[in-house]
Amino acid sequence: MIEIFGPNTRQVLTFLGQLPELSPEDIDQVTRAWRRTHSRDRAEAWVQMHRGTIEHERYRTMVAASIARQVALSAATTLHRSDWAFWAAASDAAAAIAAGHRMGSHYDILISPLAAVMPSLARSPANAQGGGNIPHSLPEQGSALSEPA
Amino acid sequence: MSQFRQLIESSPDAIVIVDSDGRIRYANFQAAFLFGYGREKLRGKPLRTLLPDQPLPLSPRDRHGQEKQVRRRLELVGSRSDSSQFPADVTVISIQTEHGPTAVVTIRDITETQRAQFVFERSLAVLESDDRDRQALLGHLVRAQEEERRRIAAGIHDDTIQVISAASLRVQQLRRRLRDRAEVEILDKLEETLRLSLSRLRQLIFDLRPPSLEEGSLAAALRGYLEQMRSETGIAYQFEDSLAAKAPANTTVLIYRIAQEALMNVRKHARAKTVRVELLGLGDGCLVRIADNGVGYNPGEVEAHPGHLGLVLIRERAQLAGGWCRIESAPGTGTTVEFWVPLGGPLTQPETDP
Repeated sequence: MIEIFGPNTRQVLTFLGQLPELSPEDIDQVTRAWRRTHSRDRAEAWVQMHRGTIEHERYRTMVAASIARQVALSAATTLHRSDWAFWAAASDAAAAIAAGHRMGSHYDILISPLAAVMPSLARSPANAQGGGNIPHSLPEQGSALSEPA
Repeated sequence: MSQFRQLIESSPDAIVIVDSDGRIRYANFQAAFLFGYGREKLRGKPLRTLLPDQPLPLSPRDRHGQEKQVRRRLELVGSRSDSSQFPADVTVISIQTEHGPTAVVTIRDITETQRAQFVFERSLAVLESDDRDRQALLGHLVRAQEEERRRIAAGIHDDTIQVISAASLRVQQLRRRLRDRAEVEILDKLEETLRLSLSRLRQLIFDLRPPSLEEGSLAAALRGYLEQMRSETGIAYQFEDSLAAKAPANTTVLIYRIAQEALMNVRKHARAKTVRVELLGLGDGCLVRIADNGVGYNPGEVEAHPGHLGLVLIRERAQLAGGWCRIESAPGTGTTVEFWVPLGGPLTQPETDP
């Protein structure tokens, strides 16, 4: 196995393979879940990904996130879904899967929107060590990122 | 039974059935072909003839001494009848039959796969190396661009503006000597032209290098840019500064340039009425969000075609600073740019989760 996305390449590939199998309803559910997550929590998780990895690992993680975004964008377009929250969620999840335990307790923040329709994702490295972290959720008000003034 | 035999014979993989002594009891057509033996010659041969250096536990036992049905997958070296060798993907399944413990061994020549993997790994390494070179080059260009801006701004301030100011003074001296009304009118126009030139040059200095940026105030520089944009285009703005920490000068300039690029896109393409800019301190870095309520764009179409340098520059500059960037949009929903850069400069070593 070539570690194109780092040591968790197999998990990233599995995730990428599952993305196009999601139904329109799944995509809508992911979109809603992503918008309920607090944008600051998400940004903190990305900061942790950057802080917790060395340059080489970070590069592979960013590649995984970028490819997941493209796959999700393509899947959403095929199913006539145009809310960018879906491919943003896919990008987040791929970064968390690729970074794995480097995400620490922030893993669940990035995974949770997609874990709602892909339960296998919920088995996080942090959960395995008993350090899982439930993301702070907001009511259906969207995030600063999703609501331009 | 003949159906099973047909199934095994039609397999694209070499399959041999081995008894508890490690001797081959059956070999399919592909096994004979792969190893270059006649099928009859294979029968009775020890498996180690085909897989010489790696003795396989063909019938492992559990802790009570009973044979277990196990499946193992290994990468070994296969040896042909002409002594040539090849990398082999080997799967061993131990089963219990009426003849005692038996192993079904499936062997696949992975020479081509390994070659392809080698080429792929090399290509990946070359791509990564090229990407590092590209980032280094971009870093160099960004620094050179900033230095050039500073040099031009200083040149305009210290030389061109001084010369034009001196010319204005001489024009004023000349005015005192003129008596002819027509000549005074010409002088008025000349003075007005000089004033306009000075004003435009001062604006150029601001565009090249806002004075507040020189003083290290990111918020003041951004507010100045937004105010200028509002007066020139009518795009209203909301600005929220929650950044407590002061960034080093280089980082301040970099953040300002990324934000400037994003705001330039708003100005040129978004057809927005309002733009919201937020500065937040996050994890000893700076998070910037710029969201407009303009027409947005279709990322599937826009990102599929090269040439959108503005978007590329935003991403690249953020990564150059050791940070990350997210640009999202969809038709009719505006565009949001969010980026974070560490205030202490690019990251090299990982840090533990706080």
